[in-house]
Amino acid sequence: MPVSRTRCALAGAAAGIVNGLLGAGGGMVLVPLLTAWCGLSDKKAFATAISVILPLSLVSLAVTAAHSPLPLGQAWPYLLGGLIGGILGGLLFKKVSAALLHRLLGAFILWGGLRLLLS
Amino acid sequence: MTALAVAAGAVCGVLSGFGIGGGSLLMVWMTAVLSLPQRTAQTINLLFFLPAAASSLVFHIRGKQVCRKAAVPAVLAGSAAAAAAALLAHGLDSSVLRKIFGAFLLLVGLSELFRRKK
Repeated sequence: MPVSRTRCALAGAAAGIVNGLLGAGGGMVLVPLLTAWCGLSDKKAFATAISVILPLSLVSLAVTAAHSPLPLGQAWPYLLGGLIGGILGGLLFKKVSAALLHRLLGAFILWGGLRLLLS
Repeated sequence: MTALAVAAGAVCGVLSGFGIGGGSLLMVWMTAVLSLPQRTAQTINLLFFLPAAASSLVFHIRGKQVCRKAAVPAVLAGSAAAAAAALLAHGLDSSVLRKIFGAFLLLVGLSELFRRKK
């Protein structure tokens, strides 16, 4: 199936709105759209979504930084962990079946959503 | 606390490297567990994603898993949308953002939990 530029642009825009507004979750929107609308395989959709969300995060950060200083002192341990985890994720990507991870992740995210809504 | 933050970043980084919601997971950790303010958590999360995404992307590009034809239009349209949405977020109250994020997590969590097997 040929990749439709319009559909990919729309999927990207949806991810951009979530990324800019909430600072997270762009990939959670983009991956299903890339598979369902744009005909990408699961693994290609995961990898492509990362390549899209990275520049979107830079844009959102630039807008944020224009309004208030970035909390770099608080953020650096997460950045260090993210670097280590990203390398591990990249190395393990082709070897992992994601089904169980999806369920664990779903349960934790659901719990977090309820907690934020009820707090 | 610092070691715990590095560990949380690493776990979420692995998931981000897989492309399955490491950022959302880290947000849940920072907001629902550590009770950081929503706006601070969002900014830390965006920063976190840069090294996590860049390092895994090296492998994905080498493995020819990135579809450029899909990525280019998505980045162009997405950047404009992200800039507009980030401006909007700046004007919103932090507690409103928190509720919107909570509702978003609820949807994402349900869809992850009841995901069809392929």
